[in-house]
Amino acid sequence: MNETNHHTPDFVVRRTLFLGLSTALTATGFVLMLKSYSGQKFWEDYVTLAVFPLLFSQIAVGFVLALFGCFDKLRGGDRHHIMRGAWREKEDSIPLAATAIVVPVYNEEVSRISKAVANMWRSLEKTGQIEQFDFYICSDSTDADHWIEEECAWLSLCTTLNAFGKIFYRKRRHRINGKSGNVADFCRRWGKRYRYMIVLDADSIMTGTTLVRLVRAMEANPAAGIIQTQPYMVLGSSLFRRVLQFSSKVYGGLFSQGCSMAQMSSGSYWGHNAIIRVAPFIEYCDLPLLPVPDPGKRHVLSHDTVEAALMRRSGYGVWIAYDEPGSYEEGPPNLSDMLTRDRRWCAGNLQHFWFLFARGIEMGSRLQIWIGLMGYLCSPLWLTFLVAGSFGAYFRQRFLMFSADPEDLSAASNSGAGILLALTLTLLFVPRLLGVLTTLPRARQFGGVIRMLFSALLENILSCLLAPVLMMFHTLFVLLTISGMQIKWNTQNRADTGLTFTHCLKLYGWLTVLGVVTCQVAASYLGNASWWLVPILAGWILAPLLAWVTSGRRLGLLFRSAGLFVTPEETDPPPELLGLDDGDEESQTGTAAPSPLWVQALLNPYVKAVHLSMVRQGSHNSVTPSRSLTALRERLIKEGPRGLTPKEKQRLLWDGESVFWLHQQLWSRPAAQMHPGWIQLQTESSTSRLMRDYLMADNER
Amino acid sequence: MASVNKTPATAAGDQSAWNEAYDRLLNFLRAFELDDHAYVSQLAGEIFRQAKERHREDPSLSPTVLTLELAQKRLADWLATNLGEESRTTSQILATGAIAMLLSKVYQTAPDSFLANPVPEELRQALRETLLVTGPDLNVSSMTPRHLDYGPMLQFARQTWHRWEVKELAVAILFWAGVYTFFYWWLSPIP
Repeated sequence: MNETNHHTPDFVVRRTLFLGLSTALTATGFVLMLKSYSGQKFWEDYVTLAVFPLLFSQIAVGFVLALFGCFDKLRGGDRHHIMRGAWREKEDSIPLAATAIVVPVYNEEVSRISKAVANMWRSLEKTGQIEQFDFYICSDSTDADHWIEEECAWLSLCTTLNAFGKIFYRKRRHRINGKSGNVADFCRRWGKRYRYMIVLDADSIMTGTTLVRLVRAMEANPAAGIIQTQPYMVLGSSLFRRVLQFSSKVYGGLFSQGCSMAQMSSGSYWGHNAIIRVAPFIEYCDLPLLPVPDPGKRHVLSHDTVEAALMRRSGYGVWIAYDEPGSYEEGPPNLSDMLTRDRRWCAGNLQHFWFLFARGIEMGSRLQIWIGLMGYLCSPLWLTFLVAGSFGAYFRQRFLMFSADPEDLSAASNSGAGILLALTLTLLFVPRLLGVLTTLPRARQFGGVIRMLFSALLENILSCLLAPVLMMFHTLFVLLTISGMQIKWNTQNRADTGLTFTHCLKLYGWLTVLGVVTCQVAASYLGNASWWLVPILAGWILAPLLAWVTSGRRLGLLFRSAGLFVTPEETDPPPELLGLDDGDEESQTGTAAPSPLWVQALLNPYVKAVHLSMVRQGSHNSVTPSRSLTALRERLIKEGPRGLTPKEKQRLLWDGESVFWLHQQLWSRPAAQMHPGWIQLQTESSTSRLMRDYLMADNER
Repeated sequence: MASVNKTPATAAGDQSAWNEAYDRLLNFLRAFELDDHAYVSQLAGEIFRQAKERHREDPSLSPTVLTLELAQKRLADWLATNLGEESRTTSQILATGAIAMLLSKVYQTAPDSFLANPVPEELRQALRETLLVTGPDLNVSSMTPRHLDYGPMLQFARQTWHRWEVKELAVAILFWAGVYTFFYWWLSPIP
């Protein structure tokens, strides 16, 4: 299966232009840098000069991509793009193929997931193509309460939507290889039943029209392996999330479009909101182990980029459907959650280093890997640049003071630093300006021209202040990863619950101290040159305040009511998004499932029945339980549900016979032979309307 | 005198045990969330009376154990009869039966048929026809990683891993740090 577009003159011209322009800009920057360092050099200057091209190449690449995106937007889109082929003219006549919508979940908010599935189901129903789609909620949840709630939600979805045999729930017994392992497990079990799978995240949602169009695009283009949509961030209520969703809407599309234009069928895969051709994915895209000595570190953490590279290696195309509407996700609600995610991504992206030089990987994939790598490596490089640059400036000042040589002073004042600064600012801010300019025709959807421009200005200020904070944390993450410290795959928090000021002080206070100290030192030793550091130091000093202020809903909603950071999905919300943010209200008001919910699988007859019908599929049931399992059952009865560790709870819940036995015992044993907590739980089970609220809950919007 | 004192204490203990049994039974039945609360109380009274009768025959049994076992047995028998699946284990009948009750909405449409015999024919049919599809049949594929040659970096890394021990690496780093420090001191401009 060979892609032909890689041999077309058009593609060669694009790639040559992309690489040529990026290299030319980097070279120009480097020459200007060299010019500004003419005269006496110190060893710090050599460090600065060595790091500079790497850093500058990144902003040059970003600039060129934005330029490509803008050009493509102005000319009305890429006629060679997969989503613009001749098939679009007879789109409705293309029959669909069996497609699975795979939703991997891991201790996520269950109500949000089931609402999203229900909304997508209804949206697909409206297209009249629901018969071709099956949903798979593939759970890796380690929390017993989440597990039971997911089972209840599945039954509730099936009854409400009359979707038995169309929506499936699968809980994995052994959580091997994280999300990629979860998806691979689906492929191994049921992959053969489907020609395509659309992989989502727990916070993803896509409209029925988009889902159907993606399948048709794949049907019309047999050489396409993956089509990645551009998911836009939605449903933000904290200021942080609202700023992110505004910037992703204004600038994100431009970069994706530019990337698509430059890369064509060697595009990116971001792990969700994408359609995948299942057969080649099964055949070629299982992740290889990394060739490192420690067996515990051989698993690829960040799977998407590697899967895209492997798909491309097998000859299938990977495309970005940059302007396909109806693909959404939720962003991190605050800075701390974004850093938690970044720490995970950093570890994953740094592992990709191994694939950079692997044989058979396509040039475009290598480029994607390189960009991903540099996304995090740039931070320590930038820090090195700043430190070395500051020391260099200090020594140069001292040298000039003592040398009193007029030529040296003249060399310093006539340097190319001014031009370089102008070029750097151009490369940094022109893409943003282009993003704003290309969005202007749709300004009404963003709250009007004035409000949109003001939002963009505020977003730029916030980005400038957050960049040095991210630099420090990313540097830390890179160092932690290189030193081999384990990165835990935490559940992403998706609720805008806000951060406490104490938390912010604890996590970011050291940056404030660092900022104040650096400010003093720089002012004393660098004099006027210390002004260059003001944007960096301001970000550090204000870090706790920024993190705290931007995390709350109140300020976010205030900005929304003022018409700032408004996105089209807010001015004209698609029906698929309605009701999805109700969970935030619930978490604010404290309405939640009875806790602990997992014990209801032992007490409530309906919850138990649903659970047993699920675990029996695994047929890991002990007719004669082992001694340790018997002891565990007794311990649960005697010590109550809080006496068990998460692993012990899972062990009991996986054993159908234990669940049945415990149900019988917990209801029939005299109170004196049980932990007193059970009596209270029995009463709750009989009065909490569990069946009506969870199992048969209506998912109507 | 001693026997006079003992009798009321035993009676009080018995009453407390029966109260516990009754409360437990009521909670057990309420967990089915039947719409007809009066019927639940009636059912509880009926089972409770049976338990007391059985207890008279064998006073060594605990009232709670006896009452709840009776209730659970009655539930299993009722489901087995109405589902027509006597050959399956009690655990399977209870699970399938509870799902059937749930999906056919017995709790709402015919709460007074719960544990009653005989049940209306439509209800029996509804219970028997309810089937929970939990997952499609497996269609197993083999998904294994293809060989990937990691190229020159792997060769280089392997040589390094095999050649360098942590101690040696630390010595090397210290050595070069010393060399660079010396050069820095030597080449730094004199203030």
